[in-house]
Amino acid sequence: MNPEATSRLIQASKASIMATLILTMTGCVTSRIEDAREGMTGISEGESIVILAKSYHLGNETEDKYIACLEKRLARGSNGLHVISSKVFVDSLFPWFEPRTAPTDTKGLAKLMDHPGVAEKIAEQGVRYVIWLDGDTERVAGGGSLSCAAGPGGGGCFGFAWWQNDADYDANVWDLKELESAGTVTADVSGTSFLPALIIPIPLIARTQAAACKGLSRQLRAFIIDDPSI
Amino acid sequence: MTAKTFTVICAATLAAFLAGCGSSVMLDPPTIPTPLINKIPASVGLRIPAEFESFVHSEEVIGRKHWKIDLGRSNAALFTQLFAYMFEKVTVLDADDDASLLSLDALIEPSIDAFEFSVPNQTKTEAFAVWIRYRLKVYNADGTVVANWPVSAYGKSQSGGGTDALRRAAVLAMRDAAALIIMKLDDETGISARISSVAAASVAVQTPQPATTDEE
Repeated sequence: MNPEATSRLIQASKASIMATLILTMTGCVTSRIEDAREGMTGISEGESIVILAKSYHLGNETEDKYIACLEKRLARGSNGLHVISSKVFVDSLFPWFEPRTAPTDTKGLAKLMDHPGVAEKIAEQGVRYVIWLDGDTERVAGGGSLSCAAGPGGGGCFGFAWWQNDADYDANVWDLKELESAGTVTADVSGTSFLPALIIPIPLIARTQAAACKGLSRQLRAFIIDDPSI
Repeated sequence: MTAKTFTVICAATLAAFLAGCGSSVMLDPPTIPTPLINKIPASVGLRIPAEFESFVHSEEVIGRKHWKIDLGRSNAALFTQLFAYMFEKVTVLDADDDASLLSLDALIEPSIDAFEFSVPNQTKTEAFAVWIRYRLKVYNADGTVVANWPVSAYGKSQSGGGTDALRRAAVLAMRDAAALIIMKLDDETGISARISSVAAASVAVQTPQPATTDEE
């Protein structure tokens, strides 16, 4: 190969690598975040929230990593909330918040508080709101094909693949001070990812679940603090 | 390459190949948090059968991969801890101990009726799930079976991968069983009610009869 062709190939490779690095940050994502308020909210200094997944006994499949993402996002920043870890909360109230035994609606809260030690434990941790998560992220469509090969002279990929993920989550907020539901925040995010390949695959990944986490956490914070400017 | 080196490489390759054909999960004894309940004022015996102490479940899934789940002492440890939280006094009996010689209000004998699990390949999800059906037999002080209660428990986990997720699902199933037993044992077996009726009968026997008068 002559030096000019080699130089052009090197420049093309650099351009591809730069394009890959830039384009992996983008993706096609559409989001819809809504809230439906049923009561007054607001949170004082010293009060906490806890995020729990609705029971898998009821068929819910909310991912642990999504809950961890929400906990992290709600706790950070200047308007960060005090978030109690779901594991710590459930363990401290054993067996009253297990997947089998947790109250399924706010009508059961008064009876729950009558059990020995429950009200005291909740007060000790300062838990004001319990946020019940329902929903998950799943692949709803996909297509295309991609094939890769490697040999002594080199390797590469050729083809085009795409897939669409939907992240639908409902967050039902219970106020443990008033023993009633404060409302619901929903996140409905759809993202399509593409993977074209011409020698080098160029992933255009839509971070659907991450977008759902970001959107839901922002709306939940505004809902709980009751400040639309956040 | 010497013959010895070649043999070692072949053995390592074979071991790696066989490892990919099966998985083994060993459970450490789980712990449950201290429950927020009032203890039942009873003295109970807990007799753990030998097969309960070392339960192993082996299964080949869709003819592709062999799974072996060794619950070890985890069941025995769970029930010992659970009943210590639930009752005022618990005595763990060996197989040849005579329960009638101890002043027990009841004797409880757990066993496993069934153990099943599913892996992501089967359910087309990312979760491992475990179902355990325990059976609790309750005997009163004279050795009569007064309750025979099946306890169905379920655990599901996506966390981790492979053996870690299956291990966590099994632990969650045991914790589910513990929660159900705490909530329902007394209602299903009537231990408290039986103790109360025995105590009431004992008080009635001890109450002196009123004396009869000459006029009667």
